[in-house]
Amino acid sequence: MSALAHYLEEEGLPTVAISLIRPQTENTRPPRALWVPFELGRPIGPPSDPAFQKRVIRAALRLLDGKNGPTVLEDFREDDPRSVPDPGWQSPSTEVPAGNIPSITLAELMEKEIQRLAPLHERWIDRRDRTTVGLARLSIGECAHYVASWMMGDVRPSPWTDLSSPMMLRFCVDDLKAYCLEAATGDLKPSGKQLRDWFWNNTATGSAVRMMRKILQASDDERLSRIVSNFMVPAAQIKPDD
Amino acid sequence: MVRLIDLPAGQAKRLADLECPDFQTRPWASGPPLAQRRVSVISSAGLFVKGEAAPFRGRDADYRSIPLKTPAADVLCSHISINFDRTAFQEDWNVVLPLDRMRELAKEGFIGSVADTHYSFMGAIDPIEAENHVRELSVRLKQEEVDAVLLCPV
Repeated sequence: MSALAHYLEEEGLPTVAISLIRPQTENTRPPRALWVPFELGRPIGPPSDPAFQKRVIRAALRLLDGKNGPTVLEDFREDDPRSVPDPGWQSPSTEVPAGNIPSITLAELMEKEIQRLAPLHERWIDRRDRTTVGLARLSIGECAHYVASWMMGDVRPSPWTDLSSPMMLRFCVDDLKAYCLEAATGDLKPSGKQLRDWFWNNTATGSAVRMMRKILQASDDERLSRIVSNFMVPAAQIKPDD
Repeated sequence: MVRLIDLPAGQAKRLADLECPDFQTRPWASGPPLAQRRVSVISSAGLFVKGEAAPFRGRDADYRSIPLKTPAADVLCSHISINFDRTAFQEDWNVVLPLDRMRELAKEGFIGSVADTHYSFMGAIDPIEAENHVRELSVRLKQEEVDAVLLCPV
């Protein structure tokens, strides 16, 4: 974002950047930046909290009225109230697979889990009028089936001419994660960490993605190996035996 | 509160050390008072409007347009990195692309107006590869009479 700010300012457009990583902003020195103490992925702060979000945006935009360049970096001091766990949140009931089960069994568990979560996901859409599932342009059942096929060594071609097979696999995994996390959120306010820990440690789908990563990162296809190694399981969730 | 020390060591180091060109100049553009400015938002979340544009693939250095009238339900995130929280965006797109908040701030008179179009790049792209795209975008922004840009990384 710092380079973007530089180019835009050179073209005469005033910018202000939100900074999520202060040391990075100190190094790259965009003209104006507001550091916020939030989790990566939420530059404007907590979801569903318009008043808080506007405090962040106002603090950032006010830097545009300042005159003390050539670089300004200020701090936003309020913490994200949604970064703490919600003790009332209960995760959906899932069948946690035992260790070292065959890939075909785990794939079946994942496909059943996706079906079981359907009512919760439908409720999410009813309440929010929105889902972030859709990158793969398949139904969620088809996404699960596509991933299951790869887990069992059936290297499926992409159904779309504009997406390669590895990219299709990545988008199917992204859609499965979004589907499970949306279904699990419910009506309460779990933290992102609560949801991610549940998904990666207590669902068949999370376990299936881990297993697929382990199987395919040994692939001779360098691009496929790189994609599954780096873009499927978050670094914070990778275990020593993954 | 999340700081670099909360992240896995390798990821934290990569993020803190992320390279940016060593620019020799420090441009500083200015404009009218905030209450008169027209503001556009640029996200680096790899956002796109489904059915209207392609998702980002890998580290595409170009950008996607998101008209202000776009319903939240039509905006998806195709960012390649999985090492940032997506649950907040799933619940409320304003945490990444705060268009509802910008409308409210314009109505309150805090800013002059909200631009008709907003934009997204993919994060962590090569700044050199992105330069021509950004300069081309600057022409569009000026045509849209934008005189303030809020940059929202993820």
